[in-house]
Amino acid sequence: MSITDRHSGALAQTYTPSHALVPYGQGRIRGLDAGELGTHGIAMDRLVALGLPVVPGLTVPAGSAASLCEPGTARAALELVEQLSGRRIGDRSRPLVLRLSASASTEVAGLPPDLACIGITPADADGIRAVIGRDDVLYEVWAATVRMIAEYALDVPAPELDDASLDAPDPRARVDALLSTVARHAERPYPDDPAEQLALAARAVLGRWASPRARRSRKAQRLPAELGIALHVQAVRIGPWDHSGFGTAVSRHPDSGRFSPQGSFFRGVRRSAPPPRTGEPLEKLGGSSALLEHSLLTLERHLHAPVTVDFEVRDGEISLLAASAQSRPPLRAAVCLAADLAGDGALDREEAVRRISPAQVQELLHPQLRLTGGEQLLVKGLPASPGAATGAIVLSSERALELAADGTQVVLVAHETTPADVPGMLAAVAVLTGSGGIASHAAVVARGAGKPAVCGAEGLRADRAAGTVRIGDRVLREGDPVSLDGRTGAVYAGTLSISVAGPPPELSTLLEWADDMRRLGVRANADTAAEVSTAVALGAGGVGLCRTEHQFLGDRLPLIRRVILAADAAARDEALSALEQAQHEDFKALLTAVGDRPVTVRLLDAPLHEFLPAAGEAQDAAEEQRAAALREANPMLGLRGVRLALLHERLYPAQAEALFTAWADVAATGVRPELEVMIPLVSLPEELAAAAAYVRGAADAVAARTGVQVPYRLGTMIETPRAALLAGELAEHAEFFSFGTNDLTQLTYGFSRDDVERQVLASYQERGFLTASPFARLDPHGVGALIALAVERARSVRPDIKLGVCGEHGGDPESIAFCDELGLDYVSCSAHRVPVARMAAAHSAVREQRDESGSAR
Amino acid sequence: MQSAAVGRMDALDENLTEAVVDLVLRGMWRGRPESDHRPLVDAGLAMVKGPMVLPTEPARAAAARILRISAGSEQEQRITAAYEAFLPVNRTLREVCTAWQCRPDGTVNDHSDSVYDAGVRESLEDVHEAIQPVLRRLDGLPSGSGRYVTDLEEALDRFDDGAVEWLASPLCDSYHTVWMRLHQELLLVLGISRAQDEALEEELVNRSRG
Repeated sequence: MSITDRHSGALAQTYTPSHALVPYGQGRIRGLDAGELGTHGIAMDRLVALGLPVVPGLTVPAGSAASLCEPGTARAALELVEQLSGRRIGDRSRPLVLRLSASASTEVAGLPPDLACIGITPADADGIRAVIGRDDVLYEVWAATVRMIAEYALDVPAPELDDASLDAPDPRARVDALLSTVARHAERPYPDDPAEQLALAARAVLGRWASPRARRSRKAQRLPAELGIALHVQAVRIGPWDHSGFGTAVSRHPDSGRFSPQGSFFRGVRRSAPPPRTGEPLEKLGGSSALLEHSLLTLERHLHAPVTVDFEVRDGEISLLAASAQSRPPLRAAVCLAADLAGDGALDREEAVRRISPAQVQELLHPQLRLTGGEQLLVKGLPASPGAATGAIVLSSERALELAADGTQVVLVAHETTPADVPGMLAAVAVLTGSGGIASHAAVVARGAGKPAVCGAEGLRADRAAGTVRIGDRVLREGDPVSLDGRTGAVYAGTLSISVAGPPPELSTLLEWADDMRRLGVRANADTAAEVSTAVALGAGGVGLCRTEHQFLGDRLPLIRRVILAADAAARDEALSALEQAQHEDFKALLTAVGDRPVTVRLLDAPLHEFLPAAGEAQDAAEEQRAAALREANPMLGLRGVRLALLHERLYPAQAEALFTAWADVAATGVRPELEVMIPLVSLPEELAAAAAYVRGAADAVAARTGVQVPYRLGTMIETPRAALLAGELAEHAEFFSFGTNDLTQLTYGFSRDDVERQVLASYQERGFLTASPFARLDPHGVGALIALAVERARSVRPDIKLGVCGEHGGDPESIAFCDELGLDYVSCSAHRVPVARMAAAHSAVREQRDESGSAR
Repeated sequence: MQSAAVGRMDALDENLTEAVVDLVLRGMWRGRPESDHRPLVDAGLAMVKGPMVLPTEPARAAAARILRISAGSEQEQRITAAYEAFLPVNRTLREVCTAWQCRPDGTVNDHSDSVYDAGVRESLEDVHEAIQPVLRRLDGLPSGSGRYVTDLEEALDRFDDGAVEWLASPLCDSYHTVWMRLHQELLLVLGISRAQDEALEEELVNRSRG
């Protein structure tokens, strides 16, 4: 290092400057780690190693950072950067200034701000300005540099500097004002010598890092009080406005997730916070955009993550200022990258699947407006607060509160954002504004209140007096319905339905890979043909629970009521045959939608009280009396499930006959669903044996009538602790079990769900008795132990018994892992959780595999 | 033109004047005892909507008239200068609140990234430092700027104690709620419309970012 050797004789310090100054790219060769080089030094080393173009610069390692405060070391650093960049400070035609920044061994908040204008004097400023061709930005950056050096290295009181800045709004005048404030209040003036400026800048950065504010910040982040920082001296090569600038880019489009460099490019001297909306798209980079794209691609392949870079453009050539993996890439980008890397063989499929958590799958399937193509887009504004909503428009807080009090969903169209709009926003389901951006007061309030919002919808004019909103040439009146999506900024006329999104294509690919890795089946709880179709589209392998209760409610309620309250057998049989007809149609539609997949149909399980008329509403006094006799103190534990079927002996046979006949009809079209008939709420083996006899009888009756022997399995739901304990005996009558974990949890704890959720769970969680609601996460110690025991006992009697779970737990990743470890055959969850369950089952399988191979070693 | 209520304002006692200004600057009162708002409601200056009390149009007109300082006065010039220094910081504060609520890509900030959150807290400290000299220069506001200093400090303290809703929640006197009130007072004191305010902020921000 000849350039630094020149000075070594002149320095009396104990350190050797050549060791204190590490050019970008040479840190690792010198055996320095992140603690010495800082995250920035490490990142620049990596870029050099990958052969990517970097801005010339050097690192002063954390251990010797203070040495840069010595003018001798500062001069050596300056000369080294001059040599690396091939320019000289003070050169009028190809000017150079220095930028000083700091980084710690890990990403931390509260680093001192960068000082980006070192080595400039009032005398050269005009020359530099002339090279750039514009002035304001240069003076802005320079003023910020002077301000910090004055406060932290020259001890000028902050209020004096504040006053000087406030009194001089013009940046050029501000520099003069700050320099004269320094002259008045500091022991010495602001130096002209660039090396002295650099030494003071280092003192200011380290002083700021040692300030009470920075110490408080480290304490809040639980960082060591004495955490060191590396200093970095970078060349800022000044060039003409048209060919020079700086920018930031990420490798992937945030919405599509595809590789497509996104970012902005700003002309002029680099600033830490360039003015908004002055950026230009990357295409404006011209020829150098190819090198940027190459850099981003190289980094992605190296870091296996979506990446972000800061870059500089000088005379049309690009060089990198910083690069890193994006700390929180947009989900879509992370998913796409995983699929891309695995597609190219850079990552194996298992690793790609492991990268996307079940929770992230859920996040990608957020609720959104269901678009059919026929809706009318009113306007597209800025997506200011995520979420989809639909409601009647209102123009004032007053009206919003009035309508909301009646239970009407309202969308507040806020004309201006004033405190007067806040009550209306709180009452509304969503907020729409015609002015202001995503950082407007309205957007901040909407997000603070958790309301979806679209802001800055252009051409939107609200006229409060007339009660109208004009959007383009359309006029809406207060009360008209609109629907909006705070993620896209789209506003539609009318009331659209809101539903869960389907997986984007690259997620579908990952989920298909996940399907190849998992052992556990995933089915859906679905009661109607429409629900089955949704579930199948989301990847359900079948239906794990079809509840038949809905077949008895609504306009069929009078029929089942007549069955239960019938005065005589004839009336009951007539009602039953009407019910059977209706159910036959339901089952046909359901089985057609299921196709050749398995489907578990649970025979009637509703508690009796759902079918009884309210007191005083029976048809006659006799019926009133019979209904009164049937009312129960605790219907959920009363005449329900198999118990009701054993008292009304024609109920299950009628249901089963309707189901089997429907199967025969559907089979005639070439579709053969794998039928599973399930008996609910069993706790005695005798109950199951009796109910099984009804089902077998129904199958025989259908075979006799249609000539079709319907293939089916018969099984039971395990939802009482006694059923779990007697699993061995029950397995003698059952070919499958489905654990109804909602009821099993209620009955194991003795919790009435609605009641404890309201009054008990929160306090138990606060006290640390429970870490999660046992209704959301399967309790592995109690309920889980019962399931484990039932599994073991059932398999000892019937080794090939099919076992599944059909409670809400079937959609919870931790509970799914538990079921997988128990060796159950499938979980069944609501349709919209199916993709989450597929991913969770794959993660569980991969984890088990890794654990096994780990213990084998 | 003026309603009877506003016509009577000159005769109103100081408490009612203070109350109407407070209600207009806040936009609403929640959970106040009826004795607080009854006199305003009786004077046609407030209306009760469910759990909230809102100012009426006459109340807004009255507050604007009470707060407006005389045009062209030396006091107006001083406050205008401070208001112009306020605007760029106002933009930054809204951006800080936005960054706290949303990640740069627009997704909700789930507060699982402590480095990111600590970075937002740093930017809030920058705002809090930058607003101090502005508030010092606003001591010429009719009601003084002292309570804004106190209320902002209070919100910041609570935020630092872990009650993070004290940054941007509209349901408490959060940093943003207090700030919005200050902003509204400045506009009424100087008689500036929201449209003028937005245009001037845009101009100043683009001129002064370093």
